[in-house]
Amino acid sequence: MRRAVGIGGLRRKEAERLAMSKKGTELSQREIEKLREQIAMMKDNLEDFVREHQRDIRNNPAFRVKVQRMCQLIGVDPLSSRKSYMSELLGVGDFYCELGIQIIDICVATRSINGGLMDLDELLRRLIRRRLKGSEPVVEDDIRRTISQLKPLKGGYKIVCFGKRKMVQSVAREMNSDQAKVMTLAQYTCKFTMEDVRVAFGWDEDRIHSCVDDMLRSGIVWMDEYNEAYPEYWVMAFFSQLNSTLTMANAE
Amino acid sequence: MSNTTAVPTPGAFQFPEIYNFPPLFTRQPNESTWQEQRRQWCDLILAYYRHNRLYSLTLAEAITEPPFTNRQIHRSLRVDVLRELVDDLVKQGNASWTGAKNAKDSCLVLWRKPEVWASMIYQWANERGLFNTVLTVFELANGDDTVGQEFHNLDSVTLRRALDVLQSQGKAQLFVGTSDEDMGVKLFA
Repeated sequence: MRRAVGIGGLRRKEAERLAMSKKGTELSQREIEKLREQIAMMKDNLEDFVREHQRDIRNNPAFRVKVQRMCQLIGVDPLSSRKSYMSELLGVGDFYCELGIQIIDICVATRSINGGLMDLDELLRRLIRRRLKGSEPVVEDDIRRTISQLKPLKGGYKIVCFGKRKMVQSVAREMNSDQAKVMTLAQYTCKFTMEDVRVAFGWDEDRIHSCVDDMLRSGIVWMDEYNEAYPEYWVMAFFSQLNSTLTMANAE
Repeated sequence: MSNTTAVPTPGAFQFPEIYNFPPLFTRQPNESTWQEQRRQWCDLILAYYRHNRLYSLTLAEAITEPPFTNRQIHRSLRVDVLRELVDDLVKQGNASWTGAKNAKDSCLVLWRKPEVWASMIYQWANERGLFNTVLTVFELANGDDTVGQEFHNLDSVTLRRALDVLQSQGKAQLFVGTSDEDMGVKLFA
Protein backbone atom coordinates (compact mmCIF):
# COMPACT_ATOMS: atom_id res chain seq x y z
CA MET A 1 0.00 0.00 0.00
CA ARG A 2 1.41 3.29 -1.07
CA ARG A 3 1.86 5.85 1.68
CA ALA A 4 0.21 9.12 0.93
CA VAL A 5 2.37 12.22 1.13
CA GLY A 6 1.27 14.09 4.20
CA ILE A 7 2.21 17.39 5.78
CA GLY A 8 4.60 15.57 8.06
CA GLY A 9 6.41 14.10 5.10
CA LEU A 10 6.82 17.47 3.44
CA ARG A 11 8.15 19.01 6.62
CA ARG A 12 10.65 16.24 7.03
CA LYS A 13 11.80 16.65 3.45
CA GLU A 14 12.20 20.40 3.91
CA ALA A 15 14.22 19.83 7.07
CA GLU A 16 16.41 17.37 5.21
CA ARG A 17 16.99 19.85 2.40
CA LEU A 18 17.96 22.54 4.87
CA ALA A 19 20.29 20.23 6.68
CA MET A 20 21.83 19.21 3.40
CA SER A 21 22.37 22.76 2.21
CA LYS A 22 23.80 23.70 5.63
CA LYS A 23 26.17 20.81 5.34
CA GLY A 24 26.94 21.91 1.79
CA THR A 25 27.79 25.45 2.85
CA GLU A 26 29.88 24.08 5.66
CA LEU A 27 31.69 21.85 3.23
CA SER A 28 32.32 24.55 0.68
CA GLN A 29 33.46 26.90 3.43
CA ARG A 30 35.84 24.31 4.65
CA GLU A 31 36.95 23.81 1.07
CA ILE A 32 37.55 27.52 0.62
CA GLU A 33 39.43 27.61 3.91
CA LYS A 34 41.61 24.81 2.67
CA LEU A 35 42.19 26.49 -0.65
CA ARG A 36 43.10 29.71 1.08
CA GLU A 37 45.64 27.89 3.14
CA GLN A 38 46.99 26.23 0.06
CA ILE A 39 47.30 29.47 -1.82
CA ALA A 40 48.98 31.13 1.12
CA MET A 41 51.37 28.26 1.20
CA MET A 42 51.91 28.48 -2.51
CA LYS A 43 52.67 32.18 -2.20
CA ASP A 44 55.19 31.41 0.47
CA ASN A 45 56.69 28.70 -1.64
CA LEU A 46 56.72 30.92 -4.68
CA GLU A 47 58.54 33.57 -2.69
CA ASP A 48 61.11 31.06 -1.55
CA PHE A 49 61.39 29.78 -5.07
CA VAL A 50 61.84 33.23 -6.54
CA ARG A 51 64.39 34.12 -3.90
CA GLU A 52 66.34 30.98 -4.66
CA HIS A 53 66.23 31.41 -8.41
CA GLN A 54 66.58 35.16 -8.63
CA ARG A 55 69.64 34.94 -10.80
CA ASP A 56 67.99 32.55 -13.27
CA ILE A 57 64.97 34.81 -13.45
CA ARG A 58 67.08 37.78 -14.43
CA ASN A 59 69.20 35.91 -16.91
CA ASN A 60 66.82 33.46 -18.51
CA PRO A 61 63.95 35.10 -20.38
CA ALA A 62 61.97 31.91 -20.94
CA PHE A 63 62.12 31.11 -17.26
CA ARG A 64 61.21 34.70 -16.36
CA VAL A 65 58.10 34.53 -18.53
CA LYS A 66 57.02 31.30 -16.84
CA VAL A 67 57.48 32.68 -13.35
CA GLN A 68 55.54 35.80 -14.31
CA ARG A 69 52.66 33.66 -15.58
CA MET A 70 52.68 31.63 -12.38
CA CYS A 71 52.60 34.78 -10.30
CA GLN A 72 49.68 36.14 -12.26
CA LEU A 73 47.72 32.89 -11.95
CA ILE A 74 47.69 33.04 -8.19
CA GLY A 75 47.05 36.74 -8.08
CA VAL A 76 50.51 38.04 -7.43
CA ASP A 77 51.49 40.84 -9.75
CA PRO A 78 55.21 41.30 -9.52
CA LEU A 79 55.03 44.42 -11.67
CA SER A 80 52.13 46.21 -10.03
CA SER A 81 54.48 48.36 -8.05
CA ARG A 82 58.20 48.75 -7.96
CA LYS A 83 57.98 48.66 -4.20
CA SER A 84 55.93 45.52 -4.07
CA TYR A 85 57.71 42.74 -2.29
CA MET A 86 57.49 40.48 -5.32
CA SER A 87 59.07 42.94 -7.67
CA GLU A 88 61.86 43.40 -5.18
CA LEU A 89 62.20 39.69 -4.86
CA LEU A 90 62.17 39.14 -8.59
CA GLY A 91 64.49 42.05 -9.10
CA VAL A 92 62.42 42.83 -12.19
CA GLY A 93 61.34 46.30 -11.11
CA ASP A 94 64.58 47.77 -12.35
CA PHE A 95 64.64 45.52 -15.36
CA TYR A 96 61.29 46.71 -16.71
CA CYS A 97 61.93 50.27 -15.74
CA GLU A 98 65.17 50.27 -17.68
CA LEU A 99 63.53 48.52 -20.62
CA GLY A 100 60.73 51.08 -20.59
CA ILE A 101 63.17 53.94 -20.87
CA GLN A 102 64.98 52.24 -23.74
CA ILE A 103 61.73 51.57 -25.58
CA ILE A 104 60.60 55.18 -25.21
CA ASP A 105 63.99 56.38 -26.33
CA ILE A 106 63.95 54.31 -29.51
CA CYS A 107 60.35 55.20 -30.33
CA VAL A 108 60.85 58.92 -29.81
CA ALA A 109 64.07 58.96 -31.83
CA THR A 110 62.45 57.28 -34.83
CA ARG A 111 59.02 58.92 -34.62
CA SER A 112 59.63 61.56 -37.26
CA ILE A 113 60.77 58.90 -39.69
CA ASN A 114 58.10 56.21 -39.14
CA GLY A 115 55.14 58.20 -37.83
CA GLY A 116 55.39 56.57 -34.41
CA LEU A 117 54.89 53.04 -35.62
CA MET A 118 57.53 50.35 -35.31
CA ASP A 119 57.48 46.66 -36.02
CA LEU A 120 57.71 44.71 -32.78
CA ASP A 121 60.54 42.55 -34.14
CA GLU A 122 62.38 45.64 -35.29
CA LEU A 123 62.06 47.16 -31.82
CA LEU A 124 63.35 43.93 -30.31
CA ARG A 125 66.27 43.94 -32.74
CA ARG A 126 67.16 47.51 -31.84
CA LEU A 127 66.82 46.85 -28.12
CA ILE A 128 69.13 43.87 -28.31
CA ARG A 129 71.63 45.85 -30.35
CA ARG A 130 71.73 48.74 -27.93
CA ARG A 131 71.69 46.87 -24.64
CA LEU A 132 75.05 46.28 -23.07
CA LYS A 133 76.62 42.93 -23.56
CA GLY A 134 76.01 40.76 -20.52
CA SER A 135 72.77 42.51 -19.58
CA GLU A 136 69.67 40.39 -19.29
CA PRO A 137 68.32 39.15 -22.63
CA VAL A 138 64.99 40.56 -23.80
CA VAL A 139 62.11 38.68 -25.42
CA GLU A 140 58.85 39.81 -26.98
CA ASP A 141 56.92 39.07 -23.80
CA ASP A 142 59.09 41.58 -21.91
CA ILE A 143 58.20 44.27 -24.44
CA ARG A 144 54.49 43.52 -24.08
CA ARG A 145 54.73 43.76 -20.30
CA THR A 146 56.75 46.94 -20.38
CA ILE A 147 54.37 48.59 -22.82
CA SER A 148 51.38 47.76 -20.67
CA GLN A 149 53.30 49.35 -17.79
CA LEU A 150 53.78 52.53 -19.84
CA LYS A 151 50.04 53.14 -20.03
CA PRO A 152 49.88 55.58 -17.11
CA LEU A 153 52.26 57.87 -19.01
CA LYS A 154 49.46 58.51 -21.50
CA GLY A 155 51.93 58.47 -24.38
CA GLY A 156 49.64 56.24 -26.38
CA TYR A 157 52.06 53.32 -26.18
CA LYS A 158 50.36 50.15 -27.28
CA ILE A 159 50.68 47.16 -29.53
CA VAL A 160 48.52 47.16 -32.64
CA CYS A 161 48.16 44.46 -35.27
CA PHE A 162 47.74 44.71 -39.02
CA GLY A 163 47.17 41.26 -40.34
CA LYS A 164 50.17 39.29 -39.17
CA ARG A 165 52.20 42.38 -38.38
CA LYS A 166 52.58 43.32 -34.74
CA MET A 167 53.50 46.96 -34.34
CA VAL A 168 54.34 49.18 -31.40
CA GLN A 169 52.54 52.48 -31.63
CA SER A 170 54.07 55.35 -29.70
CA VAL A 171 51.74 58.24 -30.43
CA ALA A 172 48.28 58.83 -29.00
CA ARG A 173 46.30 58.30 -32.15
CA GLU A 174 43.41 56.13 -33.14
CA MET A 175 43.83 54.84 -36.63
CA ASN A 176 40.48 54.67 -38.40
CA SER A 177 39.32 51.42 -39.91
CA ASP A 178 40.07 52.52 -43.48
CA GLN A 179 43.69 53.17 -42.59
CA ALA A 180 43.91 49.89 -40.71
CA LYS A 181 42.59 48.07 -43.78
CA VAL A 182 45.14 49.71 -46.05
CA MET A 183 47.90 48.87 -43.57
CA THR A 184 46.83 45.25 -43.59
CA LEU A 185 46.83 45.32 -47.39
CA ALA A 186 50.44 46.51 -47.36
CA GLN A 187 51.70 44.22 -44.61
CA TYR A 188 53.89 42.06 -46.86
CA THR A 189 54.82 44.36 -49.73
CA CYS A 190 55.14 47.39 -47.42
CA LYS A 191 53.79 49.60 -50.20
CA PHE A 192 50.58 50.25 -52.11
CA THR A 193 49.17 52.42 -54.87
CA MET A 194 45.78 54.09 -54.89
CA GLU A 195 44.84 51.63 -57.60
CA ASP A 196 45.72 48.72 -55.29
CA VAL A 197 43.35 50.14 -52.70
CA ARG A 198 40.57 50.64 -55.22
CA VAL A 199 40.90 47.09 -56.51
CA ALA A 200 41.03 45.60 -53.02
CA PHE A 201 38.19 47.52 -51.38
CA GLY A 202 36.23 49.17 -54.20
CA TRP A 203 36.26 52.57 -52.50
CA ASP A 204 35.58 55.75 -54.44
CA GLU A 205 38.32 58.25 -55.24
CA ASP A 206 37.48 60.66 -52.39
CA ARG A 207 37.60 57.96 -49.79
CA ILE A 208 40.96 56.65 -51.04
CA HIS A 209 42.42 60.14 -51.25
CA SER A 210 41.38 61.12 -47.76
CA CYS A 211 42.72 57.88 -46.35
CA VAL A 212 46.10 58.25 -48.09
CA ASP A 213 46.31 61.93 -47.16
CA ASP A 214 45.74 61.06 -43.51
CA MET A 215 48.48 58.49 -43.65
CA LEU A 216 50.89 60.92 -45.30
CA ARG A 217 50.04 63.61 -42.77
CA SER A 218 50.70 61.34 -39.82
CA GLY A 219 54.03 60.35 -41.32
CA ILE A 220 53.21 56.65 -41.47
CA VAL A 221 53.66 56.49 -45.23
CA TRP A 222 56.17 58.11 -47.56
CA MET A 223 55.46 58.80 -51.21
CA ASP A 224 57.54 57.42 -54.08
CA GLU A 225 56.96 59.25 -57.35
CA TYR A 226 59.22 57.08 -59.48
CA ASN A 227 56.16 56.37 -61.59
CA GLU A 228 54.52 59.78 -61.62
CA ALA A 229 51.17 58.52 -62.86
CA TYR A 230 50.95 55.88 -60.15
CA PRO A 231 52.84 57.02 -57.09
CA GLU A 232 53.56 54.33 -54.54
CA TYR A 233 52.99 54.82 -50.85
CA TRP A 234 55.48 53.08 -48.60
CA VAL A 235 54.99 52.21 -44.95
CA MET A 236 58.32 52.95 -43.30
CA ALA A 237 57.56 50.79 -40.29
CA PHE A 238 57.05 47.76 -42.51
CA PHE A 239 60.06 48.56 -44.63
CA SER A 240 62.74 48.41 -41.92
CA GLN A 241 61.76 44.87 -41.08
CA LEU A 242 61.62 43.87 -44.74
CA ASN A 243 64.99 45.44 -45.32
CA SER A 244 66.65 43.68 -42.44
CA THR A 245 65.33 40.32 -43.58
CA LEU A 246 66.47 41.12 -47.12
CA THR A 247 69.93 41.97 -45.88
CA MET A 248 70.03 38.76 -43.93
CA ALA A 249 68.85 36.80 -46.97
CA ASN A 250 71.55 38.42 -49.10
CA ALA A 251 74.21 37.62 -46.55
CA GLU A 252 73.39 33.96 -46.59
CA MET B 1 84.66 43.50 -36.16
CA SER B 2 87.68 43.57 -33.86
CA ASN B 3 89.64 45.63 -36.37
CA THR B 4 87.72 48.88 -36.03
CA THR B 5 90.27 51.27 -34.62
CA ALA B 6 90.56 54.99 -35.25
CA VAL B 7 92.38 54.51 -38.55
CA PRO B 8 90.19 55.87 -41.37
CA THR B 9 88.82 52.88 -43.22
CA PRO B 10 89.33 53.07 -46.98
CA GLY B 11 86.66 50.39 -47.55
CA ALA B 12 83.29 50.84 -49.19
CA PHE B 13 80.98 53.42 -47.72
CA GLN B 14 78.36 51.87 -45.47
CA PHE B 15 75.03 53.28 -46.56
CA PRO B 16 72.32 53.60 -43.92
CA GLU B 17 69.28 51.35 -44.08
CA ILE B 18 67.03 54.13 -45.33
CA TYR B 19 69.16 54.44 -48.49
CA ASN B 20 67.23 51.51 -49.98
CA PHE B 21 63.87 53.07 -49.14
CA PRO B 22 62.59 54.25 -52.56
CA PRO B 23 60.63 57.29 -51.26
CA LEU B 24 63.90 58.76 -49.98
CA PHE B 25 64.39 59.91 -53.59
CA THR B 26 61.06 61.71 -53.83
CA ARG B 27 60.57 65.04 -52.09
CA GLN B 28 57.97 64.27 -49.43
CA PRO B 29 54.75 66.28 -49.61
CA ASN B 30 54.27 66.20 -45.86
CA GLU B 31 56.25 69.00 -44.22
CA SER B 32 57.43 67.18 -41.11
CA THR B 33 58.41 64.09 -43.11
CA TRP B 34 60.28 66.33 -45.54
CA GLN B 35 62.11 67.88 -42.61
CA GLU B 36 63.20 64.42 -41.49
CA GLN B 37 64.09 63.51 -45.06
CA ARG B 38 66.33 66.58 -45.37
CA ARG B 39 68.05 65.65 -42.12
CA GLN B 40 68.70 62.14 -43.44
CA TRP B 41 70.08 63.46 -46.72
CA CYS B 42 72.31 66.10 -45.15
CA ASP B 43 73.82 63.51 -42.80
CA LEU B 44 74.29 61.11 -45.69
CA ILE B 45 75.94 63.68 -47.99
CA LEU B 46 78.40 64.80 -45.32
CA ALA B 47 79.25 61.23 -44.32
CA TYR B 48 79.67 60.13 -47.93
CA TYR B 49 81.82 63.09 -48.93
CA ARG B 50 83.92 62.75 -45.81
CA HIS B 51 84.41 59.02 -46.32
CA ASN B 52 85.51 59.47 -49.92
CA ARG B 53 87.30 62.76 -49.24
CA LEU B 54 85.28 64.60 -51.85
CA TYR B 55 84.95 68.37 -51.77
CA SER B 56 83.12 69.77 -54.73
CA LEU B 57 79.70 68.94 -56.03
CA THR B 58 78.26 69.86 -59.41
CA LEU B 59 74.56 69.29 -59.08
CA ALA B 60 73.67 68.21 -62.63
CA GLU B 61 76.51 65.68 -62.69
CA ALA B 62 76.16 64.50 -59.12
CA ILE B 63 72.60 63.30 -59.44
CA THR B 64 73.63 60.51 -61.80
CA GLU B 65 76.08 59.08 -59.27
CA PRO B 66 75.90 57.74 -55.72
CA PRO B 67 74.80 58.82 -53.25
CA PHE B 68 72.19 60.71 -55.29
CA THR B 69 71.50 57.74 -57.52
CA ASN B 70 70.86 54.34 -56.03
CA ARG B 71 71.31 51.87 -58.87
CA GLN B 72 70.20 48.95 -56.76
CA ILE B 73 66.67 50.32 -56.48
CA HIS B 74 66.79 52.48 -59.65
CA ARG B 75 66.09 55.77 -57.96
CA SER B 76 67.65 59.21 -58.47
CA LEU B 77 67.19 62.48 -56.72
CA ARG B 78 65.95 65.41 -58.82
CA VAL B 79 68.25 68.42 -59.29
CA ASP B 80 65.78 70.86 -57.74
CA VAL B 81 65.49 68.67 -54.66
CA LEU B 82 69.26 68.42 -54.35
CA ARG B 83 69.44 72.21 -54.67
CA GLU B 84 67.11 72.52 -51.67
CA LEU B 85 69.31 70.12 -49.72
CA VAL B 86 72.45 72.10 -50.53
CA ASP B 87 70.64 75.26 -49.43
CA ASP B 88 70.13 73.52 -46.12
CA LEU B 89 73.78 72.52 -45.87
CA VAL B 90 74.80 76.10 -46.66
CA LYS B 91 72.55 77.34 -43.86
CA GLN B 92 74.23 74.92 -41.45
CA GLY B 93 77.66 76.07 -42.59
CA ASN B 94 78.42 72.68 -44.12
CA ALA B 95 78.46 73.81 -47.74
CA SER B 96 79.01 76.93 -49.76
CA TRP B 97 77.80 77.79 -53.24
CA THR B 98 80.51 78.21 -55.87
CA GLY B 99 80.45 79.29 -59.51
CA ALA B 100 78.20 81.95 -60.98
CA LYS B 101 76.20 84.04 -58.58
CA ASN B 102 72.69 82.76 -57.86
CA ALA B 103 73.16 79.92 -60.32
CA LYS B 104 73.31 77.35 -57.53
CA ASP B 105 74.80 74.78 -59.87
CA SER B 106 77.83 73.78 -57.87
CA CYS B 107 79.02 73.91 -54.33
CA LEU B 108 81.76 72.94 -51.92
CA VAL B 109 80.83 70.36 -49.36
CA LEU B 110 82.45 71.37 -46.11
CA TRP B 111 82.37 68.14 -44.17
CA ARG B 112 84.99 69.76 -42.03
CA LYS B 113 84.59 73.46 -41.31
CA PRO B 114 87.33 75.78 -42.67
CA GLU B 115 88.12 76.76 -39.07
CA VAL B 116 89.03 73.15 -38.29
CA TRP B 117 91.28 72.83 -41.35
CA ALA B 118 92.84 76.15 -40.40
CA SER B 119 93.81 74.99 -36.93
CA MET B 120 95.21 71.72 -38.31
CA ILE B 121 97.46 73.61 -40.71
CA TYR B 122 98.48 76.06 -38.03
CA GLN B 123 99.37 73.29 -35.61
CA TRP B 124 101.38 71.44 -38.24
CA ALA B 125 103.36 74.57 -39.10
CA ASN B 126 104.00 75.15 -35.41
CA GLU B 127 105.29 71.60 -34.87
CA ARG B 128 107.56 71.79 -37.92
CA GLY B 129 108.92 75.19 -36.90
CA LEU B 130 107.66 76.73 -40.11
CA PHE B 131 106.42 79.99 -38.65
CA ASN B 132 107.64 83.11 -40.41
CA THR B 133 108.56 81.08 -43.50
CA VAL B 134 106.87 81.66 -46.82
CA LEU B 135 105.24 78.46 -48.08
CA THR B 136 103.48 77.99 -51.36
CA VAL B 137 99.92 76.85 -51.22
CA PHE B 138 100.81 74.03 -53.60
CA GLU B 139 103.46 72.88 -51.15
CA LEU B 140 100.97 72.89 -48.31
CA ALA B 141 98.51 70.64 -50.07
CA ASN B 142 100.81 68.49 -52.18
CA GLY B 143 104.31 68.79 -50.77
CA ASP B 144 106.24 65.90 -49.29
CA ASP B 145 106.20 67.57 -45.90
CA THR B 146 102.47 67.23 -45.52
CA VAL B 147 102.14 63.59 -46.54
CA GLY B 148 100.13 61.81 -43.87
CA GLN B 149 98.52 65.05 -42.72
CA GLU B 150 94.75 65.24 -42.84
CA PHE B 151 94.95 68.25 -45.14
CA HIS B 152 97.27 66.57 -47.63
CA ASN B 153 95.62 66.66 -51.06
CA LEU B 154 93.04 69.06 -49.74
CA ASP B 155 91.00 70.64 -52.48
CA SER B 156 92.42 74.08 -53.38
CA VAL B 157 89.22 76.03 -52.79
CA THR B 158 88.73 74.50 -49.36
CA LEU B 159 92.37 75.12 -48.55
CA ARG B 160 92.01 78.74 -49.59
CA ARG B 161 89.04 79.07 -47.22
CA ALA B 162 91.11 77.71 -44.37
CA LEU B 163 93.95 80.12 -45.10
CA ASP B 164 91.47 83.00 -45.25
CA VAL B 165 90.37 82.04 -41.78
CA LEU B 166 93.97 82.11 -40.54
CA GLN B 167 94.52 85.49 -42.16
CA SER B 168 91.42 86.93 -40.55
CA GLN B 169 92.64 85.62 -37.19
CA GLY B 170 95.92 87.44 -37.74
CA LYS B 171 97.86 84.18 -37.85
CA ALA B 172 98.77 84.27 -41.53
CA GLN B 173 99.50 86.52 -44.39
CA LEU B 174 98.67 85.57 -47.96
CA PHE B 175 100.76 86.58 -50.96
CA VAL B 176 98.81 86.57 -54.16
CA GLY B 177 100.43 84.84 -57.13
CA THR B 178 99.36 84.38 -60.71
CA SER B 179 97.14 81.46 -59.77
CA ASP B 180 95.77 79.94 -56.62
CA GLU B 181 98.54 77.39 -56.62
CA ASP B 182 101.51 79.64 -56.65
CA MET B 183 100.03 81.78 -53.99
CA GLY B 184 102.24 82.03 -50.93
CA VAL B 185 101.46 82.07 -47.27
CA LYS B 186 103.40 83.04 -44.17
CA LEU B 187 102.21 81.81 -40.80
CA PHE B 188 103.22 83.38 -37.50
CA ALA B 189 102.66 82.87 -33.81
